[in-house]
Amino acid sequence: MSLNRILIYGVLTLAAMFYLLPLLVMVITSLKDLEEIRNGTMLTLPQSLNFTAWDKAWSTACTGVSCEGLKGYFWNSVLIVVPAVLVSTILGALNGYVLTKWRFRGSNLFFGLLLIGTMIPFQVILLPMARTLGFLGIAGTTWGLILVHIIYGLAFTTLFFRNYYISVPSELVNAARIDGAGFWMIFYRIILPISTPILVVSIIWQFTQIWNDFLFGVVYSSGDYQPITVALNNLVNTSTGVKEYNVDMAAAIIAALPTLFVYIVAGKYFVRGLTAGAVKG
Amino acid sequence: MQALKIQNVEKSFGAIKVLKGINIEIEPGQFLILVGPSGCGKSTLLNMIAGLETVSKGDIVIGDRTVTHLDPKDRDIAMVFQSYALYPNMTVSQNISFGLDIAKMPKPEQKVVVDRVAKMLQIEPLLNRKPKALSGGQRQRVAMGRALARDPSIYLFDEPLSNLDAKLRVEMRSEIKELHQREKTTIVYVTHDQIEAMTLADVIAVMKDGEVQQFGTPQEIYDNPENQFIAGFMGSPSMNFVPCELSKSDDGYELLMESAGKVTRLLVNQDIPGLAQYVGRSVVLGVRPEQITQVSEDKPDSMVMPCAVEIVEPTGPDTMVTIRLNGVKTVCRVHPTAICSPGEPMFLQFDVTKAVFFDPETELRIR
Amino acid sequence: MNASSKPKLSFGEYLPKIVVAPTFVATLIFIYGFMLWNAWLSFSSSRMLPKYDWVGLKQYERLFANDRWWVAAENLLIFGVLFIVTCLVIGLFLAIFLDQKVRAEGAIRTIYLYPMALSFIVTGTAWKWILNPELGIQRMFREMGWESFSFDWLVNSDMAIYTVVIAGVWQSSGFVMALCLAGLRGVDENIVKAARVDGASMPAIYRRIIIPGLGPVFFSALIVLTHIAIKSFDLIVALTGGGPGYATDVPATFMYTYAFTRGQIGVGSAASMMMLMAVVAIIVPYLYSELREKKQ
Repeated sequence: MSLNRILIYGVLTLAAMFYLLPLLVMVITSLKDLEEIRNGTMLTLPQSLNFTAWDKAWSTACTGVSCEGLKGYFWNSVLIVVPAVLVSTILGALNGYVLTKWRFRGSNLFFGLLLIGTMIPFQVILLPMARTLGFLGIAGTTWGLILVHIIYGLAFTTLFFRNYYISVPSELVNAARIDGAGFWMIFYRIILPISTPILVVSIIWQFTQIWNDFLFGVVYSSGDYQPITVALNNLVNTSTGVKEYNVDMAAAIIAALPTLFVYIVAGKYFVRGLTAGAVKG
Repeated sequence: MQALKIQNVEKSFGAIKVLKGINIEIEPGQFLILVGPSGCGKSTLLNMIAGLETVSKGDIVIGDRTVTHLDPKDRDIAMVFQSYALYPNMTVSQNISFGLDIAKMPKPEQKVVVDRVAKMLQIEPLLNRKPKALSGGQRQRVAMGRALARDPSIYLFDEPLSNLDAKLRVEMRSEIKELHQREKTTIVYVTHDQIEAMTLADVIAVMKDGEVQQFGTPQEIYDNPENQFIAGFMGSPSMNFVPCELSKSDDGYELLMESAGKVTRLLVNQDIPGLAQYVGRSVVLGVRPEQITQVSEDKPDSMVMPCAVEIVEPTGPDTMVTIRLNGVKTVCRVHPTAICSPGEPMFLQFDVTKAVFFDPETELRIR
Repeated sequence: MNASSKPKLSFGEYLPKIVVAPTFVATLIFIYGFMLWNAWLSFSSSRMLPKYDWVGLKQYERLFANDRWWVAAENLLIFGVLFIVTCLVIGLFLAIFLDQKVRAEGAIRTIYLYPMALSFIVTGTAWKWILNPELGIQRMFREMGWESFSFDWLVNSDMAIYTVVIAGVWQSSGFVMALCLAGLRGVDENIVKAARVDGASMPAIYRRIIIPGLGPVFFSALIVLTHIAIKSFDLIVALTGGGPGYATDVPATFMYTYAFTRGQIGVGSAASMMMLMAVVAIIVPYLYSELREKKQ
């Protein structure tokens, strides 16, 4: 092996350690008890596989006033994520289909308006949305958060599908029209069956975004309806008694597991979503 | 009754008129080809016949029905696309039967149609494959099969052979011709390839800039082009256009022709009344490569003149020789045995009986 | 039969518009309408509850007179510049190294990019533990025998903002790597071959041909990173909570604090309008250049 190759592999390995270390530290810490944490360093391996901290994080740790662990909030997040991802993806697919295959006067302007919507800082809409959710009587509820995530996810899902469908030849739609198929039939029988890759991209992207969201969660939910990110932050910052780093780390891993799992299973699509979001237009 | 009537059809996008009043009529069983350079409006016209684009003005009549504003599905047409547009998620047989399925034909009847079409096109072994697993030529056949399954009153072909390689294109061309002769179908076929137009068509509409320049049989258009554009567009290698001085002679007219520094007088022994007013002026002589050949004894009406050979391109059956006439490069089709090499003079024989003349300003034919 | 049938306006022709209508209406109301609504709040005297009166630029004056806002703005500048530059540099170099036909490239790429799948709250929680002076890195080095080692940035007002940079870079640099790698893979191999035939060395080819060709990639990465930086909220809440004191406040946390916990809706909305201005200042030139490219 030449010096060059050694250098290349050396740098790549160092970088890999930089990225892996925090995860490693989290896992190690979550498996120790407080005694071990106080006596060792963060890289000392645990003496045994001790899942007490995990159990506590899941079912008894305090997140603010209540002490029932993360489990309830985990399911809150699931309840928010599933409908929000499905609705925003379906609407995004239909929007993309219309914007590429059934263009009308003004459809490009509409797309432009929507695109800018992907770029605004959400702080600008926080206050009006808080008022609106109040008017609608869904402030602080799961429904309110679902609605917010659908609305502000639409721009992204539409962008994904629009950019994907633009490369689907229009002749395909023309052929189906001559074969007698209409708007819905073409979507259902021709377009949807070839949309699997972008459906996966959109679902993964929306899933990751909504699961990881904190801003909307902390502003628009309260008490028992909070999503897991908010609960995790509360858990970590609840300052009653001794600081239990092992529970904090277990809780953080629990909050991260769903998105990590998706990333490991379908990383290719995750990266595609990221780059599609980056190269707009 | 006409199979298809296009009456004063216009198309504009905003202020831009892309079709300027098209009139075409064809009989049932006729093979119509719309040919022209890209941007001439031929594909737009085809899409309007299909109902994929709206008609700005005028009417389209298929059989005895005015279909100008009908949906594609109500026009009783089928279309074969340039990219074939096969539904990627469906098998070949599902592709062929999709239209029948939409029309709610019972499955057993669909199967009968699919089998008949597959047999006709010899694609039976492919019926369960997806388009991805097909070669270009096979896709082409499936696309035609999908159209045939519909059994429409008119077939529309949008440059169906342009994505195939040269050899396959020639094969498929003759298959389409055979199919047409056997099934007596009415076809409207768009292409930019004049050879396809010549070989396939019963009638050709040569289009340019949103207008039909000439409408007629292939031979009419080849022999009697209305203007210099059509003359140059149809035929390969294309017709030579040589500007020359016209003068009166005892038997008719004479053309002053210069090559390799030598001036020859070329006698025009055709009766073209229109030429009279061009005496003493310049005209454009249109002469096809096959009308300038090596000297042979069997053409008494031909003229012979010495020319300087510039380029020699053997094609096998013929050799293309480029000479310079009145300063213009001119291609001649010479028998390969009449060997010559660049830079040498060569005697060539002009068959002026079929030559055509154009006005140098308007580029219109002088008749 | 010669009578021309009139074009009929059927339900079918409106269908596409009906399908996109919900999104269109939602965009108009929930993005553009809300932006205007928010702008109005910033010109009103709203405190605990929104009021719809008009006090001109009063709230902006209060905002600009607030030290904490300027700390937040300065922090954003420090964080933004360091975060963006470091991410771009690390991302580019990792991509170039990864592009040398290395073994296990897929696995390495997965490792570099996984932080992007995490919530900033998780990232913040993890780094808060690692950077914690009592039990984290500082303790580890001291235990290893380096008694005088000191790393207390997390609790040091002057340095805390840099811990945010570290955690942010950890999370986002893999993304730049992915973008750059895609860009490198998109380079026409024939150009590289031509340059080698011309006698250029690989470093020279990277420096003079490939990296300049990555301009558009850098540009999109820059836009996305800037966007992340301006919106950064979760990471700071989880890592430093804006502290010590308000030493690591950024506009996003400032806005949240004033609008939702301090009952200063007017100041909060004014702060969010300033954030919007910052984003506009970036995306307008971006859109302009994109549109110009398309026209050409």
